Amino acid sequence: MANIRDIKNRIVSVKNTKQITNAMKMVAASKLRKAQEKIINARPYADYLDMMIRTVKYKNPATDNPFLCCDVSEENDAVSDVQQTRRVLIVITADRGLCGSFNSNIIRSANTYLKNHKHVDVVCIGKKGFDQLKKHTDNIIDKYLDFFNEMDFKFSRSISNKMIDLFINKGYQRIDVIYNEFKSAIQQNIIERQLLPIIPIESDVVSETDYIYEPDEDTIINELGEKYVDVEIWRMLLESSAAEQGARMTAMDNATENAIEMIDELTLMHNRARQSAITTEIIEIASGAEAISD
Amino acid sequence: MPENNNNAKKSKLRIKIIQPTRIVINEECEHVIVPGFAGDFGVYPDHTPLITAIRPGVLTVFKLGENIVFAIHDGFVTVEKDVIRIVCEVIETTHEVDKGRAERAKKRAKERLATQSEDIDYRRAEAALSRSLARINSITGH
Repeated sequence: MANIRDIKNRIVSVKNTKQITNAMKMVAASKLRKAQEKIINARPYADYLDMMIRTVKYKNPATDNPFLCCDVSEENDAVSDVQQTRRVLIVITADRGLCGSFNSNIIRSANTYLKNHKHVDVVCIGKKGFDQLKKHTDNIIDKYLDFFNEMDFKFSRSISNKMIDLFINKGYQRIDVIYNEFKSAIQQNIIERQLLPIIPIESDVVSETDYIYEPDEDTIINELGEKYVDVEIWRMLLESSAAEQGARMTAMDNATENAIEMIDELTLMHNRARQSAITTEIIEIASGAEAISD
Repeated sequence: MPENNNNAKKSKLRIKIIQPTRIVINEECEHVIVPGFAGDFGVYPDHTPLITAIRPGVLTVFKLGENIVFAIHDGFVTVEKDVIRIVCEVIETTHEVDKGRAERAKKRAKERLATQSEDIDYRRAEAALSRSLARINSITGH
């Protein structure tokens, strides 16, 4: 049986760990609330742009504007190497760990994506994804690390400007994103979706009004497209950061539970050891007394 | 104006200004002057449906009793009957404008445009100039 003092030290150290995990849980909970608030604030803007894009697309189904031109199909991968689509994959992970399988799930699906498609260049948002993916691929063209703490719209816009530049000027035909969607505090969904060209969500909510476009439709679509990408990236970053905090909260809650369980077990062990030490002592005294009385 | 009377003779214009991080205003007003892509234009109730881009400039919302002035940098206006919606990434009320900073930005942009060297980005400098002018004009009221 283990030494009583060793067990006591273990108990103290597990208690400390428990305190840390509990504190992290609380912090994550409060950050989660803030992130959720931001998502709610971004909703009117995003919904509105979404509606505009849909309306414009509905009115001009045959537009050849690159933002809306959706002739890049999945089957392209089957044809010869030369004609293949050049893609960018944006991988959004967290900057920090200790949030369960949040990061590893994303990295796994990113790797699957890389296996299934050729000519993919990767943009990493978040440190954990970059650290892992740089071992698997040499095609990381850009990375944005350590910003989730002070995330603001300006930052996300600098990312989206870069992405638009890649898409419009650098000859990439398609941009996909893999990120964690915030479902609830205990559930995150991995989403893989196409960012560019824009696929408007099929919906009945189109404004039937015949608008006058000023200066002209193409300029409006370009501007609208840029704004749309801006807000989509912003929304995905917010979703991911809310999901991260949710995942961390759950992970830390589990860790705290485990620590409590462990403390209970160790305390039991400690008591047993103490008891057996006392028993041994009593037996020694008793046998000593017996020896004298003989 | 809180009184929202359906029987009011003159219809009012509802203005909604939406930013990615918040809804700036959502209220009724008399009319609005917007710095549109092709020039400033006024929007009164019952306007033709219109979508246009915004250039950096001064946006004025006319309400009974008080006018609200904004410096706006980019975005879109859609007008639909009695509703005008403005979505923009950067908008500031006159209280939020930092005049000193705007003046410095104006000076810097002008200097940059004045130099004849090849390696400056004219588009960026011009954009910076028009943004700083929008800010300054929103305060001085031009």
